[in-house]
Amino acid sequence: MIKVRDLHKSFGDLEVLKGIDAQVNEQEVVCVIGPSGSGKSTFLRCLNLLEEVTSGEVIIDGDVITDSRVDINEIRSQVGMVFQHFNLFPHKTVLENITLGPIKVKGMYEEQAKDVAIPLLEKVGLSDKADAYPDSLSGGQKQRVAIARSLAMNPKVMLFDEPTSALDPELVGDVLQVMKDLAEEGMTMVVVTHEMGFAKEVGDRVLFMDEGIIMEEGNPKQIFDNPQNPRTQSFLSKIL
Amino acid sequence: MIDYLMDSAYVKSLPYLWEGIQLTLYITIVGLFLGFIMGAIAGLGRLSKVSILRWISTVYVEVVRGTPILAQVLFIYYGLTAINIGEITAAIIAITMNAGAYIAEIVRGAVYSIDKGQGEAGRAIGLTERQTMRYIIWPQAFKRMIPPLGNQFIISLKDTSLFSVIAVGEVLYMAKQYYNTTFEIFETLIMVCIFYLIITIPTSIILRRVERKLDV
Ligand SMILES: Nc1ncnc2c1ncn2[C@@H]1O[C@H](COP(=O)(O)OP(=O)(O)OP(=O)(O)O)[C@@H](O)[C@H]1O
Ligand SMILES: [Mg+2]
Repeated sequence: MIKVRDLHKSFGDLEVLKGIDAQVNEQEVVCVIGPSGSGKSTFLRCLNLLEEVTSGEVIIDGDVITDSRVDINEIRSQVGMVFQHFNLFPHKTVLENITLGPIKVKGMYEEQAKDVAIPLLEKVGLSDKADAYPDSLSGGQKQRVAIARSLAMNPKVMLFDEPTSALDPELVGDVLQVMKDLAEEGMTMVVVTHEMGFAKEVGDRVLFMDEGIIMEEGNPKQIFDNPQNPRTQSFLSKIL
Repeated sequence: MIDYLMDSAYVKSLPYLWEGIQLTLYITIVGLFLGFIMGAIAGLGRLSKVSILRWISTVYVEVVRGTPILAQVLFIYYGLTAINIGEITAAIIAITMNAGAYIAEIVRGAVYSIDKGQGEAGRAIGLTERQTMRYIIWPQAFKRMIPPLGNQFIISLKDTSLFSVIAVGEVLYMAKQYYNTTFEIFETLIMVCIFYLIITIPTSIILRRVERKLDV
């Protein structure tokens, strides 16, 4: 589903990604872990071109998205992204947050878009909040709306950048549950996370990133119980 | 008592000033409306990725902000008399150009102040850059522009008094004409100031309310 070949990304003189090769198969859940500043967010943002890549190739579902001839907006509408800080649109209701994409990008009528949005709100357990504004929601509720907003575009892949890091501990569970349900339905997902429990339970594969490269990868069991790379060992010993 | 009031210099100046008041309000409102369009274009120009747009907008804003408005008024008036525009048109152009530069900074600041994540979230669902601006950034930024725009309204309203130098019949010009014949200088000027205050004080009060409301 996703193929990354020798991906490099620099901000000015600072090289943040130093040659990443990775693959995400259809229906796979790949968790990305690693220390702060290692380039996890940058890597994720390159996958939907929120960052312009410096060199290398990203292929999603057969389309070389790093090719300058592709329609970026079209690509982005097929790749959902969930942010650490939710980034809901505060001037729009929950329902409007979700229907905006379908209406403006897919050209749906309002009624059609609602028919898409309402089951999604049910799925994330927030049917009663359709007409609420984001400011009146808890962090966990906001993040679930953000997930529904992405899903409304019917994406092929969902990217999550530390979706629970900004949440109070007691709200994390609901969001992880929604993500777990998604994984079970067969959504292809790339999840940058500090939730090692989630990575172990839901992840099919774990990538350990450090200093702009993927230092180690494997299934969760290998990475967590028997890490080979000393960097992985020291990272895991610090956080577990 | 009533007779005395009606006969006083203050009241007698009113019908004469009224004409000027109307013109003052007309120039201010039309000038600010056009100035907002000008300012929105220049403000977004300053944030543009296209360097030539950024450059033109910046020069415009800096030139206007760095020179006295009186010089701008005279410049436009004498500069454009060649093509025979009336002094009222010159006045409207002057307010448009002048307010436009300050509004450009208001627009730029407000758009810039919106969290980057908003734009990214818009782009992430596949909106184009234009759609992101139109549906996500601008509505939020516009709210933040309201208080400084109100402030600009007060400034531009007072700036129209400078047009008396090019014989635009706004309120101060009319006052001068009037007291040159009646010599009731202070009475007339007090009426002029009262007019300004009747507009500016309520505007300030409303603005402060709006500001407080937007804050929470
Ligand atoms: N827009 C940018 N301009 C310049 N430098 C940037 C930019 N974005 C990220 N960086 C730098 O790139 C490096 C990697 O950042 P990134 O956000 O990808 O790390 P991360 O692994 O997601 O860290 P964290 O766990 O703290 O989120 C950091 O040194 C950061 O300062
Ligand atoms: Mg990050």
